[in-house]
Amino acid sequence: MNNREHDQHHPLRPNRRTVLKGAVSAAALGSTGGLGALTEAALAQSNLRAQISQIPGIGKGAPTDADWQKVGELCLGPTKANVKEGEFKGVELSFMGLNNQNLHNLLFRGFLKPWEAYTGAKISWIDLAQADYNPRLQQAIATGTVDFDILEMGAPFEGDVCGKGLASEMPEWVKTQIDINDYVDYLKPPVGTWNDKTYRVTIDGDCHNFNYRTDYFSDAGLAKAWKDAGNAGDWGVPKTWQQVQAVTKFLKGKKFKGQNAYGYLDAPKPWGGFGFYFLGSRASAYAKHPDDKAWLFDVDTMKPRINNPAWVRAIQDVIDALPSEPPDQLNADPNTTGFQQFLAGTGSMIPWWGDIGQVAKASDTSVIGDIVGFDILPGSDDVYNAKTGNWDKLASGPNHAPNCAYLGWGVYVMARVNGDEKKHKAAWSAAAHLGGKDLSFWTVLYPSGFQVHRASHFNIDEWVTAGYDRKYITSYLNSQLSSYNHPNRAVEPRIPGIFQYYSIAEDELTKIFAGQVDAQTGANNIAAAWEKLTDQLGREKQIALYKASLGV
Amino acid sequence: MHQSLPAAVNRQQMLASRRMRQASLGRALFLIASALFALVLLVQVLHASGAIAAGFSDWRPVLYAYLVWGIALGIRQVLLRGERGLRALFLLPAVLFTVAVVIFPTVFGFYIASLDWNLSSLEGPRFYGLGNLIGLFHDTYYWNALRNMVFYTLAVSGEYAIAFGLALLLNADISGRKFFRVVFLLPMMLSPVAVSWMIGKSLLEYRFGPAATLARALGWDNPAFFASPWIARFSIEAMDAWVSIPFIMIILLAGLQAMPKEVLEAAKVDGANGWQSFWHVTFPLMLPVSITVLIIRIIFKLKLADIVINVTAGGPGGATDTMSSFIYRVYRDRSNVGYGTGLAMFYLLIIIVLLSLLLRLSHRWTQKVT
Amino acid sequence: MTIAALIPNRKPQAASRAKRIVGRTLIYAALIFWAFVCLSPIYWTVTTSFKSAVDVTQGHLIPWLDFQPDWKGWRSLGLSPDTIFGTSNPREEFLSRFGNSIFTSVGASLLALVLGSLAAYGLSRFRYKFAWMRNDDILFFFMSQLILPPVVLALPFLVLYKALALLDTRFGLILLYTLTVLPIVIWIMRDQFNAIPVELDEAAFVDGLSVWGAFLRIILPLAVPGMVAAFILSLVLCWNEYFFAALLTSTDAKTLPVMVASQTGSQGINWWSMAALSTAAIAPLVIAGIFLERYIVSGLTTGAGK
Repeated sequence: MNNREHDQHHPLRPNRRTVLKGAVSAAALGSTGGLGALTEAALAQSNLRAQISQIPGIGKGAPTDADWQKVGELCLGPTKANVKEGEFKGVELSFMGLNNQNLHNLLFRGFLKPWEAYTGAKISWIDLAQADYNPRLQQAIATGTVDFDILEMGAPFEGDVCGKGLASEMPEWVKTQIDINDYVDYLKPPVGTWNDKTYRVTIDGDCHNFNYRTDYFSDAGLAKAWKDAGNAGDWGVPKTWQQVQAVTKFLKGKKFKGQNAYGYLDAPKPWGGFGFYFLGSRASAYAKHPDDKAWLFDVDTMKPRINNPAWVRAIQDVIDALPSEPPDQLNADPNTTGFQQFLAGTGSMIPWWGDIGQVAKASDTSVIGDIVGFDILPGSDDVYNAKTGNWDKLASGPNHAPNCAYLGWGVYVMARVNGDEKKHKAAWSAAAHLGGKDLSFWTVLYPSGFQVHRASHFNIDEWVTAGYDRKYITSYLNSQLSSYNHPNRAVEPRIPGIFQYYSIAEDELTKIFAGQVDAQTGANNIAAAWEKLTDQLGREKQIALYKASLGV
Repeated sequence: MHQSLPAAVNRQQMLASRRMRQASLGRALFLIASALFALVLLVQVLHASGAIAAGFSDWRPVLYAYLVWGIALGIRQVLLRGERGLRALFLLPAVLFTVAVVIFPTVFGFYIASLDWNLSSLEGPRFYGLGNLIGLFHDTYYWNALRNMVFYTLAVSGEYAIAFGLALLLNADISGRKFFRVVFLLPMMLSPVAVSWMIGKSLLEYRFGPAATLARALGWDNPAFFASPWIARFSIEAMDAWVSIPFIMIILLAGLQAMPKEVLEAAKVDGANGWQSFWHVTFPLMLPVSITVLIIRIIFKLKLADIVINVTAGGPGGATDTMSSFIYRVYRDRSNVGYGTGLAMFYLLIIIVLLSLLLRLSHRWTQKVT
Repeated sequence: MTIAALIPNRKPQAASRAKRIVGRTLIYAALIFWAFVCLSPIYWTVTTSFKSAVDVTQGHLIPWLDFQPDWKGWRSLGLSPDTIFGTSNPREEFLSRFGNSIFTSVGASLLALVLGSLAAYGLSRFRYKFAWMRNDDILFFFMSQLILPPVVLALPFLVLYKALALLDTRFGLILLYTLTVLPIVIWIMRDQFNAIPVELDEAAFVDGLSVWGAFLRIILPLAVPGMVAAFILSLVLCWNEYFFAALLTSTDAKTLPVMVASQTGSQGINWWSMAALSTAAIAPLVIAGIFLERYIVSGLTTGAGK
């Protein structure tokens, strides 16, 4: 613990008892506490984690408001260690975030209710529907109507907020309280930072993994039919996009469990920019060469790569697969493929964020239950080398490049609280509570919209204790962890206006998928529109920020 | 008699002088209010631009000053122009209100339309002149959306025909009339978001939607309502029609009920059958109502967006895209506010020209028919 | 007209009776068909608020037969019998939005009614000349406020409302909503007043009433049904307004439609709670519709026939 910071903020100096009760991370405590305290604290913490993991219990339906409050109450320890009771009396904070199906902001409300009761601060809430989030944020910034103190925001918008100096830098004591070093690698700086200053309390990790139906790929009947059709290799979960295509075409017209069988599900319908990630997941194995950090633009010129052979091949894959997919697929966005098709029992393979695995078992939206298996995104036998213009076959086998799409949600404190010391501390304390280590374990365990993002989330025993099936959860967590830590992971550039690029691409892609233009022409159109946009946003600045976000 | 004449003159003089006094009072009042308004405005402008320190924390006082000015203007009208002033008083509040709320957004809107302004650009807005206007002539999405709007607008005639039929039904001598009227009004009340999701994304869903099940039972093997361009267009139009037919219907119904019964009876006596009496009597009599309701409906139709955005996002391949949903993407998803506003302003221009023509033509036509 | 003319001979009478019966059948068939068209989506919405995900994604239709109804959607809002007395953030959220929705839509509709009726009466009775604009042009001016897609007014209204400190106030929303429904009110009310014979005004003048006296004491009471109709239409439009509500409100003035839209996002869609919210959101309108339906028709009756 950093005493200098403590002095600065005059918190209640924690005595041993509050620390123990408070379940501060064992690692942080190790630097000041003795060995006995360490084990005791670790014990208390694991008790706490076991306790909250039973609220309300896996398989007992979606948690309710009362559950959120209970969890928030139990996880108040770290706050109590840093804040005196009633210390923020009279402070009023405004929190802007999503109301995503009565999660996110409403979840935070439940978590923060005990915090408000303890600290005496009061929070008012601005709830936005997901579709309104980006425009509302951009327009608030442009018109100077930033009327919130705390903001829930995704990493792709950091360029717009942190780049314009609107966010407040994270104090050291917060870093300690939330144990910031526990974050998985890909969420460590530069993500969450801007010009080497840390801004973000990460509450979510986002990455596309590969979800498949275990019953499909262990079915003897399909295995036989696969052999009979003269296919090479055994019937099993595809490991490369080439196999995904073959399986998808093979399943067309087949019946499985009395229903039409389908393979991979594409999401051709635009989804406010988010749909582009799904083409990205198909393309990353082709386009992300291990020797090259870039895959979306050329680093030095911001020249789009969207019309290079790798991306065009991915687009062509979608075109080729669509006839083998359900007849209404052209109007399916990722929301449809994930929740109305896959989780409802249609189709056998989709890429998605971790929500699918989290929701399949513990949410009311799921129908299929636990016949889902997980893996990192498929690879490709060959990978395009943008520098040489050749397709390389790697000695190490198929090229994998997990698509680290969106990088998850975080909580940010706005710079407008900086002038008021009490408010500043209150805002950061609220953010730290939401990003607390134990609280985050609960949010990744249950449907919350947030996925695993800390090293401490990957303790499989804890998940099993909570009620997850060991095989299921091992498969799930491995798919996440292997994606996060993959040496060739494709990380999203956090450049301003990145969603504008996606949105333009989506528009043009829907024309391609509807058969109006061929893949190459459409891709060229996207490239041209992207060039125009880069010029409008300022090419030099974009190049600099792109380089920074890739760490080159 | 002799005495009354001077008295009358005197009274007239008194009246005249009272009117004079009233007039000057009105003028003075108005002048003071105008000065006050100008002063508040000036102070606030100077304050906002940083020229002077004194001022108000926000522009609310300007609003109040405008209100006072409006009242003074009204009083002036009455005091100065008597009867005609009283008449002007009917229109004045609505005009002053509309101008107050609209003037700034419109002017500011035209200003934005002349900018190259992407909210994500770190360099901020830059003057672009007619650049946005020139840009839109090369924008295939714009013209595609405009083409779709032609379809959607023409489809209003179908909505009108159905609504007319329903209005005739409700106007017939039927039992349970109150029930049917309320039921026929219901679709209007569902919000567009609810319509998109509860109908577009579940009732019409390919796999489980009851409408798809029904369609399969009726022999359509592959009831994908949004996968091919024309079917998608019609599906969107059907949903929008479902919501808006009640609006047209109820107004036409009212027109039918108000129609003088004698005219229809006279037609019957003349031996006209149902169709003839409708075509030669009812329809022409309903023309003025029809034209107004059609114009309003067309204006609403030209702004069609929510359902398209939620259900198809303009797809497949732009087949269902509307002007508003395209502008929505440019303005909101891409924060390209300068261009987006430019698109809208040009659209506004097209509509105003077309509507004026339409109104003029319909006036002439109505006069010829009735 | 003689009685003989009204009673034709027997045979055609039988034929016409048959024709009549066929006609009646067709009329009722059409009525029932359209009632089905109107009601089935509403039925689907209401029942979905009692369904679990399986029941939605398998298209179950009939409660107890097809699926076991449950208070699912209502529970998620804290409005089911078992949660209604507990604390619930969604319910608090819902209730505050519900109240704001009622306040703003009723407020805006009333204000529009007052401004619109006055203007409509003026436009119906007098000839105005504003610079080059005459009555028809003034009418068109009001109408033209409807045309611009609201999206592009986002920045202008943000800037304006920030300057006037009207952001996140119900008053601000009322002003904006009034603007959007004013043209429709003016149009409906002008038809109303057009239908009331001018002779009534003149009689009132003879009795010594001023223009305003005649308007308030004689004409307005006659137009009350039309005002109710205009009120209902405005109410529906304001009640469902989404775009500006999402843009201009934060905490104090937030309204219901944004919460309905929030039921879908990155976690699929909560059919049950969206259905429950939609049901709750149309309930007040339906009730208002049932009570005021007779006015809607007889209201427009006087006007539209002219």
